[in-house]
Amino acid sequence: MRDVDIIGVGLTSFGKHLDKSLVDLGGMVAIEAVKEAGIKPSEVNIGFFSNMLAGSIFTDFTIGENVLWQAGISRVPVFNIENACTSGSSAFNLGWMSVASGAYDIAIVVGAEKLIVPNLGMMQAGKTELDTLEGLVVPTAFAMRANLHMKTYGTTKEQLAMVAVKNRRHAGLNPRAQFRKPITIEEVLNGPTIADPLTKLSCCPNADGAAAIVLCVSDLSRRYNSRPVRVAASVLQTGSYENPCNLAVWDADRRASRIAYEKAGLGPKDLSVVECHDAFTISEICHYEGLGLCPEGEGGRFIESGATTLGGKIPVNPSGGLLSKGHPIGATSVAQIVEGYRQLRGEAGDYQVEGAKVFMAECMGADKAGDVKTCTVNILKI
Amino acid sequence: MDSELKPVMEGIFEVGPPPRLCGSLCPECNEKFFPKPPVCPHCLGEVQDINLSTKGKIYTYAALQMGAMYKLPVPCAVGWVDLEDGLRIFSLFDPEKVSELDFGKEVTLQVGAIGVDNNDQSCLRYYFTPENGGDK
Repeated sequence: MRDVDIIGVGLTSFGKHLDKSLVDLGGMVAIEAVKEAGIKPSEVNIGFFSNMLAGSIFTDFTIGENVLWQAGISRVPVFNIENACTSGSSAFNLGWMSVASGAYDIAIVVGAEKLIVPNLGMMQAGKTELDTLEGLVVPTAFAMRANLHMKTYGTTKEQLAMVAVKNRRHAGLNPRAQFRKPITIEEVLNGPTIADPLTKLSCCPNADGAAAIVLCVSDLSRRYNSRPVRVAASVLQTGSYENPCNLAVWDADRRASRIAYEKAGLGPKDLSVVECHDAFTISEICHYEGLGLCPEGEGGRFIESGATTLGGKIPVNPSGGLLSKGHPIGATSVAQIVEGYRQLRGEAGDYQVEGAKVFMAECMGADKAGDVKTCTVNILKI
Repeated sequence: MDSELKPVMEGIFEVGPPPRLCGSLCPECNEKFFPKPPVCPHCLGEVQDINLSTKGKIYTYAALQMGAMYKLPVPCAVGWVDLEDGLRIFSLFDPEKVSELDFGKEVTLQVGAIGVDNNDQSCLRYYFTPENGGDK
């Protein structure tokens, strides 16, 4: 496999973009990424577009061709990717593979989603799935994990709430985040209950948004960009679906991160900064453990120690995370990697992690048999 | 009246009485499954129909307080049950007994008319109910 670099990125704010269509949002970031990379649109060899819900919300499909055309990209292979919350990082994984394999030299990855629409309803695993028909919606799936984590490891509601408080504090430093006003543990705990122990502020809000990345084979990257960022590992894993499932531990996180660490020749102690899939407060706590940032069962005490706050041992979600920015699903896990590119180049502004050298993005998607359907781990370095 | 209602999904449970969950067994791998897969995912051999245990203990659970789908009563409690025969399965819990749920609580299978299906028609669902007077 060849080494692959990121040479350009584009990112919208996450929040309400009522005056923009999905294609417009995607087109904007594609243009931004192509311009930053300093390439001509005709130099892009292949494109990947990620989105999850436009098919059901807008009855739109094969959107990537429309998006990339806005950035002047046509007459090349274009693939439209859906993989739940990891749609974007799955598209990134394919883009990386297409260049690493030697098949193409320059690939573009664009993710976009519009979720600020009336009557979106509860997210669920799919309306023909037995678990959904038996009443499972996404917040309950995570509340069950939270209850079990509290019962098994002594994690407290206050520790869960600290994740939302910490990420909101970070978001105050990020002008592209949707919700930036600081919140307190009491405000999190006393808000409306969605599924106990998760309250409204324990769950990520909806958002519109888009993100884009241009990937280039490392032999050529400095021709375009004097400080490219290396993709040290790009990994996608599915769940095991064995019975009995273990809802206190995310095996897919462990498996995907172990493979990524091996491929990158790095370990958890080498990480400077992490963006992970904090769709719910409990998620971030489980990810600390799954990614090896702390021992199994210690996630609650790890947030409480301050280790994951900006200035701590290993800052997690310095951008504010999904809990503050919102979760425009198809864009989310592309945007995480854009954050990593900017952190490693020292361009993250007020939420910059000083001297960041190694970045990890983690994302998870969908639910099957008490396990996840997809888990992605990407490691970047400079 | 309930007998006129359709199950929320075909091939998942027998209405009874007594109600039963339709599981399966791979005789080669000695593995049980619920719901029934087309073949054993380990050896791709045929699986046999078996009835699963109707009793178990709660592994974990949570109750949704708003926005339940399919006109399910709120709070809508769901969770995972460790059946006596070893399978851990996902289930709705008795809407009338949400306050009685706890880790390790003994529960029994029921089938009844709860909520609607994807066509907005009233339907039958399986659910587990805490046993009367039973402690953890």
